[in-house]
Amino acid sequence: MNIKTIMCPKCKTKFTIQGNSGEKVKITCPSCNVKGVFTFPSLTPDQKAVSVSVTIEIQGFTKNYNGVKAANNISFNVKKGEVFGFLGPNGAGKTTTIKALLGLIHKDAGSFKINGFDTVSNSIESRKNVGFLPERVSFYENLTPVQTLKFFCELKGVDKAVVPLLLKEVGLEEAKDRKVGTFSKGMVQLLGVAQVMIGNPSVYVLDEPMSGLDARWVKTIREKIKMLNEKGATIIFSSHILSEVENICHRVAIINRGRLIAEDTVSNLNKYLQIKPRLEITISNLNSKVPDFLNKVKGIASVDAKENSLYITCEPGVKGNIIAALQNSGLAIENIKSIEPSLEDAFVKLIERDA
Amino acid sequence: MKGFNLKAIYTIAKKEFMDNIRNRWIILLSVIFVLLIVIFSYLAGGQTGGDKVLGDMQTTVFGLLGISSLLIPLIAIILGFSTISGEAESGALYVVLSYPIRRIEVLLGKLIGLGSVITFAILVGFGLGGIIITASFGTESWGGYLAFIALSIFLGFIYLSLTICISAFCKKRITSIGGGILLFFWGLIYGSVFIGILLGTGHTWQDFQTGNIPDWFFNSVILSPGDMHQTAVQLAFGVREINAMGFSIAIPDFLTMELLMVTHIIWFVVPLILAYIFFNRRDI
Repeated sequence: MNIKTIMCPKCKTKFTIQGNSGEKVKITCPSCNVKGVFTFPSLTPDQKAVSVSVTIEIQGFTKNYNGVKAANNISFNVKKGEVFGFLGPNGAGKTTTIKALLGLIHKDAGSFKINGFDTVSNSIESRKNVGFLPERVSFYENLTPVQTLKFFCELKGVDKAVVPLLLKEVGLEEAKDRKVGTFSKGMVQLLGVAQVMIGNPSVYVLDEPMSGLDARWVKTIREKIKMLNEKGATIIFSSHILSEVENICHRVAIINRGRLIAEDTVSNLNKYLQIKPRLEITISNLNSKVPDFLNKVKGIASVDAKENSLYITCEPGVKGNIIAALQNSGLAIENIKSIEPSLEDAFVKLIERDA
Repeated sequence: MKGFNLKAIYTIAKKEFMDNIRNRWIILLSVIFVLLIVIFSYLAGGQTGGDKVLGDMQTTVFGLLGISSLLIPLIAIILGFSTISGEAESGALYVVLSYPIRRIEVLLGKLIGLGSVITFAILVGFGLGGIIITASFGTESWGGYLAFIALSIFLGFIYLSLTICISAFCKKRITSIGGGILLFFWGLIYGSVFIGILLGTGHTWQDFQTGNIPDWFFNSVILSPGDMHQTAVQLAFGVREINAMGFSIAIPDFLTMELLMVTHIIWFVVPLILAYIFFNRRDI
């Protein structure tokens, strides 16, 4: 899936379109409604070589619920060995897409492939090497964690001897003889993490894996994801904790109202969205007034003052000039905080733009 | 269609058995079955006379048939009503169905697993009861009693099939409970409904008591698995005429054991096929 910003030849409005390499996309200018066609460039031989290593392929996924489009022509690929963040606001269609990928819900249109196997015509093969942790994970209340994991080992044809190891990995060995029905939400989530690692799958699909866990276990899961990825696993995961996604993922896809609105690395998204770094400078004698000389410093996009704090958005290369100018002016600088463009900035900007 | 993965079906069945065998209702049901057998046998002992404290198997079974043909459906409904809708709602099915297993295998595994729980309860309850009666009365009518146990297990599977069908059809657990209650009440009110129709179509209560009943009334027994089961148990003991409590009713010749077995199978297979269709089409 490619994203391209184009300019309307009539009214000069810039807008973004998305499509696959070589695909002809019908476009309509959102301002003047001029219609046209844009053809995305075909893949080069090098790019085609990369596409061979794709582990998850989602093409044109569409799903309606009572006439409402929960997913509208969603397409993206996850490459082999990649940690891929799948993001969107609540109700955007993330879980719908993940469930459809695993055959839990039926699609109205589109196709899914995991490790090259179509998830409908070759459903069993496609799921053989997948570990799935759903958003609302739940197990059988009368079984112990040992019985639960043994059950899933049997379903996957994996030696049950791994069960104690898995329980140790997630810190549940002391609760191994308790019924799952007595577990807290966090403990059930950890059991879910143990379950997902059964058989060392090559593909992990994690829907909100850190949901309901305290900071200690969030850290553990983050490290597990990194470790699994270092061993070569491909991981797609959704999360509302954007800092975690930014920390772990190679690339992200963002969906909103059932449509894919972006797919790229976090840094490319910030470049593409022209999100600039920010400075938060505390000055004891500022008195909510923006110093006049700052207007003459090149590269400042915006500046605002509130009580003793100055908020500056600027080009990456001019932060030093700004700080020097403030120091030379004789203002009493107490603290300087530099905020780099984050996934959260890109996410908020994309969602607001798509509203 | 490729063959079934029998190991996957066995794994699901084993899990269902382990998850439900400790269900307090199942333990209670087994105890109730033993108590019912002993109580009805004791009451039957009073009827049959002689020096035996407990009655013979046939009298005992006929006495408790009405209750057991309600209890077995009840336990099947309790076990099965949430097996699809409840697990879809809780999220337990998400993980299972993400494994390399087909929905038909999950369905069959659940049926076999839950059916094994009912079978276990019936075998323990009625088996233990049977042994107690045998110790007191001898081995007379063991053939009929074994058929009664087998037919009870079949009734359990029929109600499981019906309940799983409801659970696969209903989106929510609470709707499945409603469906299960309706199913149970159909077994309760079926007799009254058809007696009402009988009386409403020109027949009298006396006709009913004396067995002067049209064929359609006897045929209607196949519309209620519980009543169908009771008729089959009577035939298994070789009894075609009931003369008790002022009633004198003879089961007509066309209502054979073979016919009842066919209708038993239809009641079991059709809901199971429908359950598969609903489950396969369902978004989890």
